[in-house]
Amino acid sequence: MTAVAEGLAGISETRSFEEKPSVARRSDRIRLFIQPIAVVVIVAAVLTWVLAGDLNANESETLNLPTILTLTGQHILITLVVSVLVVVIAVPLGIALTRPALKWLSPVFLAIANIGQAAPALGVIVLFFLWTGIEGLWAVSIPLIFYTLLPVLRNTMVGIQQVDRSLIDAGRGIGMSASGVLFKVELPLAVPLILAGLRTALVLAVGTATLAFFVNGGGLGELIDTGYKLQLNSVMYVGAVLAIGLALLVDWLGGMAEVWLSPKGASE
Amino acid sequence: MSLWQYVAERWDRLSLQAWLHVSGVVQCVILAAIIGVAVGVLVYRSSAGSAIATALSSTILTIPSFALLGLLIPIVGLGVTPSVIALTLYGLLPIVRNTIVGLAGVDPAVSDAAKGIGMSRVGVLSRVELRLAWPAILTGMRVSAQMLMGIAVIAAYAKGFGLGSEVFSGLTRAGSANSLNQALAGTLGVVILALILDGIFVLISRLTVPRGIRD
Repeated sequence: MTAVAEGLAGISETRSFEEKPSVARRSDRIRLFIQPIAVVVIVAAVLTWVLAGDLNANESETLNLPTILTLTGQHILITLVVSVLVVVIAVPLGIALTRPALKWLSPVFLAIANIGQAAPALGVIVLFFLWTGIEGLWAVSIPLIFYTLLPVLRNTMVGIQQVDRSLIDAGRGIGMSASGVLFKVELPLAVPLILAGLRTALVLAVGTATLAFFVNGGGLGELIDTGYKLQLNSVMYVGAVLAIGLALLVDWLGGMAEVWLSPKGASE
Repeated sequence: MSLWQYVAERWDRLSLQAWLHVSGVVQCVILAAIIGVAVGVLVYRSSAGSAIATALSSTILTIPSFALLGLLIPIVGLGVTPSVIALTLYGLLPIVRNTIVGLAGVDPAVSDAAKGIGMSRVGVLSRVELRLAWPAILTGMRVSAQMLMGIAVIAAYAKGFGLGSEVFSGLTRAGSANSLNQALAGTLGVVILALILDGIFVLISRLTVPRGIRD
């Protein structure tokens, strides 16, 4: 199952219809192989075109290397801040909510996270801005954390809950403590699902970071908006292509993390 | 002015935008379903084809919607066209994927039996396999619809339709009276409409999924 489909399952229960593992694996492999190549080719083509091309004065004012680098940097920073904070919040929360003492709370948190994701991302960002008046990095990061929390939280909980009861009993049986079982048995077995959730969160974060400029947070969306307002198609193309390239790259990194960080034997 | 007063006062405009929002999303879901099921039918027998179709549609879904708009506006201009193209493309993945999963999940013995009683290839597909895959396809459409409700808000940037334009004009008028109410009405409207639409999908599945294959 692909990461994004995993995320979609949060909106509704697609999980009842599972792909054949062979198809899922193969389609993942195609993406892991093709995506980086596509990114490099597209981005290189666009940057050569921009930096070597004949731009008029208006265009070269926005399309120069320093501007592009700054906006890309802001875009990456938003993605990083959101993803790191989502992991820091969602994984411990997911673990806590699967402990016997707090289990009764888990439907409440899942419901809140579900509502968070059902709301339109742009609406959440704009409302947060209008409510608090905060601008810039945090104006986009805080609502996005709320928005992207669900996949990681849900996958952490599902990942831990699906661990075979007999393995936990076996762990306790050989004398491991409850926390020993958690860290040496339950969490390692949940890692593949947590990573799939993280990949979804990364893709959501890098995608919605394109909307950051609406609240003065910069990012590559700003190039698209500038191009739109000044009617400079070249600027729009560059912004769009770079944003797409970055999203595909981030998704690819998430996919690689799924492949390399999953404990051998725990996946599939 | 409270949100309720605001909504009551602008009810005509808001209800029109709400209607346009839902009707646009539903039309794009139907369009995506027609294309998605066709693609699914074409590829489901080959596992390489299924993998490529799934990979391609997942990649489309990775593209940020605002970036896709940035590519579409210079090509097709403003208005309804870029919104419809973007929404239909994003709607494809869940439908393509679930069509493939649904069709591949049909018990080969059932298809063989249908062939054995003399049904043609098309007959087996349309009267047996697609009907058995229908719950999966419908779930795909339901997921698409939920996703498109949110993406349609962003698509309103290109002078598209629906409640997104309320969110945008609330943002442009930030600081002035009612800007928050306007953005809030747009956002809450989308959430409420998405819930209602989801309920309608549940109802459709109750009415159209044959009793024999209900869970």
